[in-house]
Amino acid sequence: MRSGSRLAAAAILLARKKDEHVSTQLAIENLTHRFGNNEVLTDVNLNVKRGEFLTFLGPSGCGKTTTLRAIAGFLAPTEGRILLDGQDITGLAPHRRPVNMVFQQSTLFPHLDVGQNIAFGLQIKKLSKAEIAESVEEVLHLVKLEGFERRRSTELSGGQRQRVNLARAIVNRPEVLLLDEPLSALDLKIRLDMEVELRRLHRELGATFVYVTHDQREALALSDRIAVFNDGRIEQLDTAERLYREPNSQFAASFVGDANVFAIDVVSADGDAVITSDGLRLPVKSTGEVSGPHWLVVRPEDVRFDVGQQSVEATIMDAAFRGASITYRADCAALDSSVKAEIPDNLTASTIGAQVGVSWDAQRARLLPRGDS
Amino acid sequence: MNQTRRSRPTLVVTVLALLFLFVPLGIVILFSFHATNSLTPPFEGFSFDWYREVLNDPAIRSGVSTSLRIATLTAVSTLIFGTAAAYGVSRTRGRAGGAYSALFLLPMAMPGLILGIALLSFFSSQSISLSTMTVVIAHSVFVAPVFFIIARTALDRIDERQLEAAADLGAAPGYRFRKIILPQVLPVLLAGAAMAFVISFDEFVVTFFVIGNESTLPLVIFSRLRRTIDPSINAISSLLLFVNLAFWLVALIYAIRLEARRRRDLAGQKEG
Amino acid sequence: MLAMMAFFFVPVAVVVLYSFLTGDLFTVSRPVTMANYNDVFTIPVHRTLAWNSLIIGTIVATLTAAIGLPVAYWLHFSAGRWATPVLSLIVASMFAGYLVRIYAWRTVLGTNGVVNSSLERLGLIDEPLGFLIFSRTSVTIAELHLMLPFAVVMLFAAIRPIRSDHLEAAEDMGAGPLARWRRVILPLMAAPLATTWTFVFIISSSDFVTPQFLGGVRGQLIGTQVNRYFRESGDYGRGAALAIVMILFYVMLWFAIQGALKLARLNRIEWD
Repeated sequence: MRSGSRLAAAAILLARKKDEHVSTQLAIENLTHRFGNNEVLTDVNLNVKRGEFLTFLGPSGCGKTTTLRAIAGFLAPTEGRILLDGQDITGLAPHRRPVNMVFQQSTLFPHLDVGQNIAFGLQIKKLSKAEIAESVEEVLHLVKLEGFERRRSTELSGGQRQRVNLARAIVNRPEVLLLDEPLSALDLKIRLDMEVELRRLHRELGATFVYVTHDQREALALSDRIAVFNDGRIEQLDTAERLYREPNSQFAASFVGDANVFAIDVVSADGDAVITSDGLRLPVKSTGEVSGPHWLVVRPEDVRFDVGQQSVEATIMDAAFRGASITYRADCAALDSSVKAEIPDNLTASTIGAQVGVSWDAQRARLLPRGDS
Repeated sequence: MNQTRRSRPTLVVTVLALLFLFVPLGIVILFSFHATNSLTPPFEGFSFDWYREVLNDPAIRSGVSTSLRIATLTAVSTLIFGTAAAYGVSRTRGRAGGAYSALFLLPMAMPGLILGIALLSFFSSQSISLSTMTVVIAHSVFVAPVFFIIARTALDRIDERQLEAAADLGAAPGYRFRKIILPQVLPVLLAGAAMAFVISFDEFVVTFFVIGNESTLPLVIFSRLRRTIDPSINAISSLLLFVNLAFWLVALIYAIRLEARRRRDLAGQKEG
Repeated sequence: MLAMMAFFFVPVAVVVLYSFLTGDLFTVSRPVTMANYNDVFTIPVHRTLAWNSLIIGTIVATLTAAIGLPVAYWLHFSAGRWATPVLSLIVASMFAGYLVRIYAWRTVLGTNGVVNSSLERLGLIDEPLGFLIFSRTSVTIAELHLMLPFAVVMLFAAIRPIRSDHLEAAEDMGAGPLARWRRVILPLMAAPLATTWTFVFIISSSDFVTPQFLGGVRGQLIGTQVNRYFRESGDYGRGAALAIVMILFYVMLWFAIQGALKLARLNRIEWD
C-alpha cells in the first residue's frame, strides 16, 4: 500500500500539470459507507468542478461530514472511489493527499504560536526557512491578520482563531480545501463577517472549496453549487438559485429556505392553476397534464393576503414582527395546514383572528410529485 | 466528537503492559490453591488448605482486626477534618485558597519513607510512644491530600446560585451548609472516606515506622515474608486482593449510579 | 473552619521540625553538629547505594514513561468503549497491595520460580538464571510493576485535552505517524511526562522494601540505609541527615527538570 500510495501522490502532481483545463477536479464515485450495520452513505456520486465553491447541505447525520472526511482520507469508504484529477486517491493516507481541511472546532496546537502553527505543514514539506516565513506572512495578510505570527491561540478571539485555522490549511496550497462547519461555533455577528471573508478568500485564491454545513442560509450565501444530502444520499445538486426556485423534492423544498408545502390531490390542471379533489383552485405554474397526489410548494415571501381573485380562506393565528416584514401564520382549514406568509411591513397589517384570503403568484408556486413515503 | 484512531503499536504495548501487570498476580493466586508446599511449577494439586490455615491463624486475625480498627478511625477522622478543611478552603477566595491547596498536597508527593521517618522523629522528640493512635494520625496525614482533592471537587461543583437563593430566603451559613451543601456532597465524601479506609488498610511503609507493638495486616504479611516463603502468603495475598476488589466494585457501582442520578437531576432542571 | 485547616499543617511542620534535629545525636546527647552531614557524604556505602538508586530510579522512571505514554494514548484515542474497563483493570492491579506485588515477583523470578523452572523444563537453560533474582534487575522489574499503573493514570489524565481533531489536523497537513508523535504529542505531553518521570523516580529510588526482598547484595537502594539507621541502629541523626540530603537532591532534580521545560517553552500549555 505504501509504495503504491506514494506513486499515486506523484501521479496526481503530474496529472495536475497536464489537465489544468479539465473542469472536473474531484470525482466521487459510488461512495457507500457503513458503520457496522448502519449505512450512512448510499451510492453517492458527485463531480466537483475546479475552482468552485460547493456546499454539502443537510441535517445532522445525513452523511455530509462522512463524505467530507472520506475526501480528506480520515475514512476508508466501504465501497466506492474518490478521484482527484483522474487519479484514484481512495487508498491514500490523509497526510499524503494534496487536500487540506478546516475543522469545526479550532485545532490550533497550543504549544505553538500562530506563525509556527501555520508553518506546520510547510515544515513537514521541508521548505526553507525563508520560504516558510514568506508564505506565512503572505497568508496572514490574506486572512487580514498581519503581524499575528507570535501570538498564541489563547490570545485570539473565536473569529481570529478560525481565520488562523483557515490560514494554516490554505498555506499548503491544497488542490481542494475542505471545510467542516467551520463557523458553527461562532457567534452570529462574527459568523456573518466570516462569511464575507470566506467568499473573498475563495475569489482571491481561486481554489476549490468543499464546504459542509447544516445552515441553509449560509449555504445559499456562500456557494456556487449546493448538494443537498438526505439520509446518506444526495437529494439534489444544483446552483443555489435553482435549488431555491426549483426544488426537486419535498425535503429539498423544506430544507432549503422556508417553504409552505401542502399535500394535495390534483384532479386536473387548468391553465395557471390546478383543481384539487376538495374543489380548490390553486395557482401553480402550468406544467401540462397532471393528476394524483402532489406537493404544492410556495415560499412564504410569495404569499399575499386579500389580493386577487383566487384565494383560500384562512384565519391568522400569529404575527411576528421581523423588522422589514411580518411573518404571519394562518390556519387554513381547506388546505388542512397552516400557511406561513412573509409580508413586507408596508403592505399590510392584519390582526390575529382576522379572516383573510390567502393567495400567491402562480409563477412562484411549484408542483412536486408525491409518492408513498 | 472524539473520533477513535486505530493504532496497532499502542494496542500491542497496552496488551503487553496488562500481561506484565497481571500475570505475576495470577501466578500468586494460582499457587494459593496449591496442594503442596512448593511455589514452583508444575502446579500439582488443587486445595483450599492454605486458606484454611491462614484464616485460622491468630496472628493474621489480630492483624486484620488491628487494620480494621485503624482504617475505620482514619476514615472517620479524614472525613471530619478533611471536609472541614476542604470547605474552609473553598470559601477562601483567591490566592490564599490556592496556596493552602498546594500545601495540602505536599504529603502525597513525598515518598512513604520520608513521611515515615519524619513522623517517627516527631513522635520520638515529643516522647509520644508509638501505638495505633500514632498510626491513625500518620494515615490521616497520608490520606488527607487525596481526600482533599475529592472533597474540593465535590464542593466546587455546587452551584453558587443555589446558595445565593438559600441566603435570599433567609438561611444562615451553618444552615446552608447542613441543608444544601452537605446532602449534595455527602455521597462523594463517603466515597472519599471509603477510599481513605482502603488506603489505610493496605498501607505498609509509613505504618512500619510509627506503629507500636501491634501489627496491621500488611505488617503481619511482612514479617511472615521474612520467615517463610510458602503458599500461605499467596492465600493471604489473594484474600486481600479479592476483598479490596469487592470493596471497590461496590464503591464504583455506587458512584456510577450516583453520577447518573445527578446528571438526570441536572438535565431535568435545565429543561424545566 | 480555618482552625481545622491548621491541624493539617502538623505533618508539614513535622518535616520542618525534624530538620532541626538532624544535627543532633538523638538517643544519646544533643550537641548540634554537622558531623552527620559529613558522614553522609564520606561513608562509601552511601555512595554505592546512591549510585544504585540513581541508576535504577532512572531506568524505572524512563521505562514507565515509555510504556505509560503509549498506553495512555491507546486509552484516550483508540480504546473507545474499552477505555473504562481497561483503565479500571490497570488501577485494580494496585489493589493487590504493595507487599503482594513484591512477593509475586519473588516467586516468579526466584531460583525455583516460575521463569527459571519453566525455562529449565523447556530445556533452554541448565541452571537457574542468576541475575533474575536478588539483583538490580529484579528490583527494577518489581519497581516497574509497582509504578506503571501510577504512570498510566497520570499520563492518561494529562493526555485528555488533546483531541483527535488535533491529530487529524496534523495528519491533514502532511504529518505521518512519526511526525505526529514528534511534533504534536510529545511537545504537548512534555510537562506531564516530566512530572510523571520525576514522581516515579522519587518513589522508586527511595524504596526500601523492594530491595529488601528482591535486591540481594547488589540491589540495595539508598532508602535501605535510611531504614537501617532509623530502625536498626537507632542512629536518628545520621538517618535524618541522609534523608534530608535525599530530599534536597529530589528538590533540585525537580527544579532542574522544570527549568529545562521552561527553556524549551513546554512547561505550561494553555488550551483554548
